[in-house]
Amino acid sequence: MRSRFVAFLAVLLLTLASCGGAVSVSPSPSVAASPFPATLSDFQNRSVTVPARPERLVSIGPSITAFLFALGAGPRVVGVDDFSDEPAEAATREHVGGIKVNFEKVVALKPDLVFSLKFSDGTIEKLQAASLTVLVVDPQSVSDVAKTATLLGKAVGADGEALARSIQQRVDAVKAKTANVTTRPRVYHEIDASDPAKIFTVGPGSYINDLIDIAGGTNIAARAASAYPQLSAEEILRTDPEIIVLAADAYSPKPGDVAARQGWSIIAAVKNNRIFTIDPNLINRPGPRVGEAAEAYAKLVHPELFR
Amino acid sequence: MRTTLVLAFLAVALVVSATAGILIGAVAIGPRDVLAALFGSNDVSGTIIRELRLPRVLGAALVGGSLATAGALLQGLLRNPLADPFVTGTSAGATLAAVAAIALGATAPIVPLAAFAGALFAVIIVWRLARLGGSTTVLTVLLAGVVLTSFVGAVVTFILVSSDRLALRLRAVLGWLQGGVSVISWDELAVAALIVAAGLAFALFLAHRLDAYAFGEETAATLGVDPDRTTTAVLAATALLSGAAVALAGLVGFVGLVVPHALRFAIGATHRRLIPASFIAGAAALVLADLGARVVLSPAELPVGAITGLVGAPFFLALLVRSRRIVV
Repeated sequence: MRSRFVAFLAVLLLTLASCGGAVSVSPSPSVAASPFPATLSDFQNRSVTVPARPERLVSIGPSITAFLFALGAGPRVVGVDDFSDEPAEAATREHVGGIKVNFEKVVALKPDLVFSLKFSDGTIEKLQAASLTVLVVDPQSVSDVAKTATLLGKAVGADGEALARSIQQRVDAVKAKTANVTTRPRVYHEIDASDPAKIFTVGPGSYINDLIDIAGGTNIAARAASAYPQLSAEEILRTDPEIIVLAADAYSPKPGDVAARQGWSIIAAVKNNRIFTIDPNLINRPGPRVGEAAEAYAKLVHPELFR
Repeated sequence: MRTTLVLAFLAVALVVSATAGILIGAVAIGPRDVLAALFGSNDVSGTIIRELRLPRVLGAALVGGSLATAGALLQGLLRNPLADPFVTGTSAGATLAAVAAIALGATAPIVPLAAFAGALFAVIIVWRLARLGGSTTVLTVLLAGVVLTSFVGAVVTFILVSSDRLALRLRAVLGWLQGGVSVISWDELAVAALIVAAGLAFALFLAHRLDAYAFGEETAATLGVDPDRTTTAVLAATALLSGAAVALAGLVGFVGLVVPHALRFAIGATHRRLIPASFIAGAAALVLADLGARVVLSPAELPVGAITGLVGAPFFLALLVRSRRIVV
């Protein structure tokens, strides 16, 4: 009880103390020759200056956490969001909230650099108001991944270029394999079908749409209006997907459930028994494992290339 | 004469809206292909029409008809124009059972069965509560229904908030609560149709007793209608009708309230006419609402409950204003 009270006081003092700190986000005229201070342009086109090599990092975003560990900055990571579980070691760090960020916890960790996905609820602004340096990093496509590696490398003082190159090599290897395919099977990737009238899938501008493309498939919703469009069951029957991909987790439908849906027996993927599941963490997070994700997807779409 | 005209108009409206419901959908299919599909063509259009659109339109008709009929019965029994098919706790019972089933991981065939059982169970509880004093008075039916609905609402909220497992399937629960007839299997439709047919026949059989209720329970008793048995019988009929509707489509509001109300203006309150008219009008109304739900934001779909609320509420207000003008 007493220790909790002390902790509360500490947080309060920290919050008060940090209010007087210098604002570290500012437009900077030039880039210095030595790595720090480094002026970086983040995913919201904000110019962020990192004054010295950051020693206490907080990552709000599972893909960011994976990058930081891949860059060798894992020991400096002191806090992560609740969903960060890659690599396994990341989950041992202090948790700072999931869908809602726990600001007190972030502040109490005294980070000198906070990485965060985009938030539309004012989270970034609140963190900045607490005088924290925040770099918004929100990769949404396969091409964003290499860019993210480079940016994060500069931010933590590691060789991001090398990581970006190795990631790109692995992606290019999959691309090379699928470059000359003669058929591009129609792929339907299911995100959520809780409401059978409005089934969520992936559209242009989404990371998984890129993966389907690299894997040598044709996304049935490639020309939808948004990155995560909703289709009716009628629409899915009409486009007649040859491959159906589901998330392999406890809460998603199983291939048998999908095959049993009213009217779906006419779909080619159901007739030919080509309904597959894939690890959602691998393909939902645009992270350093993008090459592995592209390869896993390509194995579903073009198994003949991997025999 | 007027009744015949109104009934004919409603029948035409039902046929027209059902035809439109089959012709119009997310995927454009020409009238000739639709006709071929109905006669068993084996291509994609055939499957879309036979497996998705036709059961959907029939389901909407069945649900709308049942809700409107149950509403007419309860408005007559309770002599309260604000009564809807859910006043006897059917929605609450069905919701609790369905949410519990979804929380336990149940899917398609179990959830509607659970919802139907929950609806029946709720009506039985309300009926038992209403009988506590010895005789079944309509006022206690109403009060017991309100109390049960609030209590179960609180229980459902508790389950929703406390169950981590449920939180991850929250969309399934919310989708169910919003109401909709988007995907209905032929098996579900067949079972529901049998239950609704029984409920409708029962309702027609009770029509003349409900007419006696218009003057109050005591007057009904002097006219030779046993209030206790009538109340029990009407509750049973509404339980079958609204239970089947809730099991098929979740919570679809306003149809059961507005349709019988509007028909009283058109053809009067004689239940022998009001009950069949309510069924046909309710069917046409929900088929149209479902069509609206598909078309308004196409290719995305609205929950049909949103359409019935959007159109039903102003319509109900307009009726109220008109009726006051006539009375005052």
